[in-house]
Amino acid sequence: MHIEVVVVAHQTLFGSLAAMGFGVLFNVSQRHLLWCGVAGGLALAVRTLGLQLGGSLESASFAAALSVGAVAQMFQEHIGISRNTLDVTGCIPMVPGGFAAKAILGLFALTAPTPIEPDKTLIISVEYFLRVTFTIGAIGTGLAIPSLLLKAKQLAVQSIPRPSSK
Amino acid sequence: MAPNQPQADPDSLEEIAMISMEFGKMLMECGAGSAIVDEYATRVATALGAESVDLRIGYASLAITVRVQGKGIARMRRVGSIGVNQRLDQAVRQLARRVEAGDLAMSDVAGELERVTKDSPRYPGWFIDLAVGLACASFGRLLGVDWLAFGFVFAAAAIGQFIRRLLLRRNVNVFITATLVAFLASVLSGIGSRFAGSATVDTAMTAAVLLLVPGVPSLNAQYDILYGRPTLGSARAVWVAVIMIFLTIGVWLGQMALGEGL
Repeated sequence: MHIEVVVVAHQTLFGSLAAMGFGVLFNVSQRHLLWCGVAGGLALAVRTLGLQLGGSLESASFAAALSVGAVAQMFQEHIGISRNTLDVTGCIPMVPGGFAAKAILGLFALTAPTPIEPDKTLIISVEYFLRVTFTIGAIGTGLAIPSLLLKAKQLAVQSIPRPSSK
Repeated sequence: MAPNQPQADPDSLEEIAMISMEFGKMLMECGAGSAIVDEYATRVATALGAESVDLRIGYASLAITVRVQGKGIARMRRVGSIGVNQRLDQAVRQLARRVEAGDLAMSDVAGELERVTKDSPRYPGWFIDLAVGLACASFGRLLGVDWLAFGFVFAAAAIGQFIRRLLLRRNVNVFITATLVAFLASVLSGIGSRFAGSATVDTAMTAAVLLLVPGVPSLNAQYDILYGRPTLGSARAVWVAVIMIFLTIGVWLGQMALGEGL
């Protein structure tokens, strides 16, 4: 178990660029694009570190989404950007679209007139499907936790009767 | 209720219902999750004088019941095609806060919402194409695409995004668009990277179509379920799954055309 700094830096840089590129597609304003890049870079940095420390893709993605969600929650007012924008653009580079496509391609391959190694193809396909499902689930849950906690805190505060002021 | 807002009378129920649903509809179409849609539609209705608000959020429609002085009405509105537009989303939320602060009379709100929509800035098309190209090429690097294929993924994805804009502007079905764009982008990326001698042609073909992966709806689907709206969440998840199937058909056709495989 050791950390390869160059790999972490590489993934951070390209995570950041991917998030900014998607920020433009999602019509994020110019002054907030850089923050989308920060969120994407943070997500990929945490995920790559998690993977290098021996974590699975799912757990590393969960930790990354949790970090982005927490940072977005803390700084949204300071930056003047909605939590939703930072969350979504930051985590977009972690959405395993490539795996999803490979999983479906595997199923297509199974229906060929003479499938090559069908049992192996099926296992690979199912593995990709599970990875996609669990990774998306990990990202969504990781992002939602900080705001769900805050909501719970707000509800708890509301339910406590305020002492009357002097 | 906002302090500056006059007491609403039952005659204004229709206007309250339609205006607050317009806010919800706009936010849905900008890619907001159901918690935000519910929050803002309710805030606007309350600010306009509604005493109680119940909102149902479907994938393609919204329904609302508002009450004033013991009288109530229920209304429904259709939601248009759902995309992602953060600047408009922010502008709509900002306007909702102004309504809440009592800055606008009820009769001015609809016009102001129309103005905000019309004035909302967008990036020039060519800039979006290039940004999407860069995003997909970066995705490619994250997935392990080598430098020889990097430029071709960039170009193929940018051309793919250009074609996507063109087709959607002509109202071509979104699923058919996904297949066509995926085919074109994967073939262009595949031919280019093979020509350059890349060792990662297969991944380069996949990376070039990642612009089509519906990341926002797939995250929203989960948000909706976690926030207690499983029906909407499931509808979004099904939509995501179908887009992914059409996208993959495009890549599959591209792989067949080039003789590449898994």
